[in-house]
Amino acid sequence: MNTDLVIGMAGSGGDGIVSAGESLLTAAAIEGYHGVLAKSFGPQIRGGESSFRLRLSTTKMLNTGGTLDIAVALSWDDFLRFGGELPVGGHTTVVYDSITKVPIDRIPLVGVQPIEVLAVPIEQMARETGGSERAKNTVVLGLMAGWLGIAREPMMAGIRKRLAKKDAEIIDKAVKAFHAGFEYASAHPLTSDRKMAPPAKASAKFVVDGNDLCAAAAIVAGCDFFAGYPITPSTEIMQFLSREIWKYGGTVMQAEDEIAGIGAVVGASFAGKKAMTATSGPGMSLKTEMLGLASIAELPLVCVNVQRGGPSTGIPTKAEQSDLFQAVFSAHGDVIRPVLAPVSAEDMYGITIEAFNIAEQYQSPVIILSDQEVGQRKETAEPIDASQVHIINRRVPGAQELEKYVRFRFTESGISPISHPGMPGGNYLASGIEHNEPGAPTASGEMHSRMNEKRLRKFRPLLDRRDLFIIDGPPDAPIALISWGSVAGVAIEALQIAQQQGLKVKLLVPKLMYPVSEAIYADFFLSVKRGLVVEQNHQAQLFRLIRMFVDVPSGMQTLAKSGSNPITPLEVVDRLKQITLALQQGKDREPSEV
Amino acid sequence: MSTTATTRPIQDYTAKNYKSDLKPIWCPGCGDFGVVQAIYRALANIGRPPHEIAFVSGIGCSSRIPGYTTAYGFNTVHGRALPIAQGIKLANPDLLVLVAGGDGDGFSIGGGHVAHAIRRNVDLTYIVMDNQIYGLTKGQLSPTSRRGLVSVTSMYGSIEAPVNPLLYVLGYGAEFVAQGTPADMSGLAKVIEEGIRFPGFAFINVQSPCVTYGMDDQQLKAQKALMQPLESLNHDASNSLAAMGLAQQYGEKLYTGVFYRKGTPSPTFEGTARARQQELGAGTRPRAQVLDLFKLKK
Ligand SMILES: Cc1ncc(C[n+]2csc(CCOP(=O)(O)OP(=O)(O)O)c2C)c(N)n1
Ligand code: SF4
Repeated sequence: MNTDLVIGMAGSGGDGIVSAGESLLTAAAIEGYHGVLAKSFGPQIRGGESSFRLRLSTTKMLNTGGTLDIAVALSWDDFLRFGGELPVGGHTTVVYDSITKVPIDRIPLVGVQPIEVLAVPIEQMARETGGSERAKNTVVLGLMAGWLGIAREPMMAGIRKRLAKKDAEIIDKAVKAFHAGFEYASAHPLTSDRKMAPPAKASAKFVVDGNDLCAAAAIVAGCDFFAGYPITPSTEIMQFLSREIWKYGGTVMQAEDEIAGIGAVVGASFAGKKAMTATSGPGMSLKTEMLGLASIAELPLVCVNVQRGGPSTGIPTKAEQSDLFQAVFSAHGDVIRPVLAPVSAEDMYGITIEAFNIAEQYQSPVIILSDQEVGQRKETAEPIDASQVHIINRRVPGAQELEKYVRFRFTESGISPISHPGMPGGNYLASGIEHNEPGAPTASGEMHSRMNEKRLRKFRPLLDRRDLFIIDGPPDAPIALISWGSVAGVAIEALQIAQQQGLKVKLLVPKLMYPVSEAIYADFFLSVKRGLVVEQNHQAQLFRLIRMFVDVPSGMQTLAKSGSNPITPLEVVDRLKQITLALQQGKDREPSEV
Repeated sequence: MSTTATTRPIQDYTAKNYKSDLKPIWCPGCGDFGVVQAIYRALANIGRPPHEIAFVSGIGCSSRIPGYTTAYGFNTVHGRALPIAQGIKLANPDLLVLVAGGDGDGFSIGGGHVAHAIRRNVDLTYIVMDNQIYGLTKGQLSPTSRRGLVSVTSMYGSIEAPVNPLLYVLGYGAEFVAQGTPADMSGLAKVIEEGIRFPGFAFINVQSPCVTYGMDDQQLKAQKALMQPLESLNHDASNSLAAMGLAQQYGEKLYTGVFYRKGTPSPTFEGTARARQQELGAGTRPRAQVLDLFKLKK
């Protein structure tokens, strides 16, 4: 019996790989398991290869684990295209379609000896029962139900629902294909035990992905306007909103480009509405001039960047965490734009609400730095109780303030009440040009310096927001583990393992990436001698960002990797062990990787 | 339906009500002085209170214009006034939204946005102060500069053909297209007023000379000689093909007045959006209900 299993599968387009993964996750979730499903696609639009990594567990976890327990290859060519993302190891059960006719000893898995390798007549069963090779994914579902011991009913219900619009005959065939797989699994039990232990407690869960949840949270936060331009892997946010937002009185505009998208959002915010745009790397580059405008005009807005591999068009379909420098520094001039990063798809709810709250409170653009994994992976989540949600709205001037209204009045907090068109007495000139308190353009160096001071000072309270950091582990631990975004889920698990192994490690995960809270980091580093910053980019962007603001212990190292291959909890634990050893041996510092 | 006609008048407005205390920084003799006067007049005739008006511009000499009115103004970034204005109007369709800027702002850096504002038919009035030169950055070639023009970036004469603003917007299907000149103040005020009253995207090209980097007195005189009111031509403004024919003569002839006004204006984006919201039951359910979509369905 297993409490945790990682399943990976790859095939070509039309094999229904992703929908098989989703069916398996949903069925397991109904049974009460926790799961995280990451999808990965090749570059081709349709008909290209695709894959999933699904981790099922009896307890909550926030990453897709390491080496696969079960690897399913519908074709070896397709499987190997995801080699690094679907790593096969010594304990892996490898299943492949016998139609590929590869002799077992010739399976192209370089340098690994999987514990067992099975050729299964997947396509043959699909044709015989389902009537076509398109039923291959359904056969695989049957195999999994059998080998993992997951109840058949929810899976069958899922299949029926997926095919609801088809003829009864087709549904009937699909169910037969599923049973064929299930019976095959019963007749051919695996040598290694792949049965899942019963879940701790079968609770009703949500199944979410980051993009959809971001869009839904925006509606909950009061967003009434979205404009954006399609770009992978952010597009689902616009697609969700263009279906749902009207029902709550909002509007979606598919803009002609990213500049127009954020421009319309700036306009909607000026008109008094909460507004959001979403994009990915290249689109983010286009939006930066408007972000500067929103900062100087002190207009709230939320801008999501679902990061992908970069620079330029990079790898559109795969995750990377390489836009942190861009998010923090890409606007010209002295400016602070709060940047928030979610640690999981489920976390997108809280982060999005928070982004709107911070935007409204401080009258500023706020960037959500999501990534392809958070945006597109599906995971089980606890049901969200929206009755507890705390919503902040921008401070508008009261009747008395409107009698002698001054839009950009110097206040103690730096925040001045904001009027919007339609509000009698609130008329003012907003501009990207420097202005005085009423809003009139100025070229005075002194006024510019005072306005900058006001615009930068207003964010000060954010620096005390400990709730925007995950801090865990013994406060006096000498070893630090730091990570962010989707990779933080790996660090959280690595911390647990390290602690079980007796390592004295503590964890810090910022969700507020910028402004950098010097005090919170400094406090965390007090007991720290050595440590590790884990992130998925080449330059160790978070590590370097922290070092700009904080005196980091000289023994801090980085585990920074670009590319979409997952960083695994065990890899992190190994590094933590080396660091612990070096600390015990009193070595000053071992060579860092960057 | 245009929202401009419905809520008025509760008070009689004069041009003064729309004039702000800011002193224009334009060069003496700049055509833009006349344009802002014409806008005051048009707004007074319409009679919407200034706080119900949002006036958006890009960057350029001409784009300073919102600051010289008492409306809510937004002087944005170069070339992007139209997207911002659309966001404003879609967020609050009850506002009267004006957009203004230069030919560089509108047809060079922002040229891509014009087509889409027209295509969406958001009820905006877009006034371009066409001086055939870049004023604010001191005399470079603009997209409407004539071939052969010597400027600081075309020292041997421009080797590019100019954009024809009227044909450009007609080609994209603009349903209200007019041209004016501050030399004929009342004619200009009239087309601006008509543009504002038109229930949909309205475009007004204004021949607003730059006296510093654009035209000298002689050239100004020559330009004036090319101007002719469309009224004198018996032009049927509901005829888009005829409008295009006349627009084609841009540069050789400078007709003023309404080139095209569609007889039955198309629905606006914001009007259709409102109808859709109502149809889908907006306002009848708590926002948190959207989360039900994530519930596991057995
Ligand atoms: C992104 C960007 N690029 C360039 C500029 C510099 N710039 C300001 S106004 C302008 C052109 C102005 O010409 P036009 O739009 O015709 O207006 P005019 O000043 O003639 O009224 C330029 C190039 C800028 N502000 N922003
Ligand atoms: S430079 Fe030309 S356009 Fe600008 S204010 Fe002077 S005259 Fe007018």
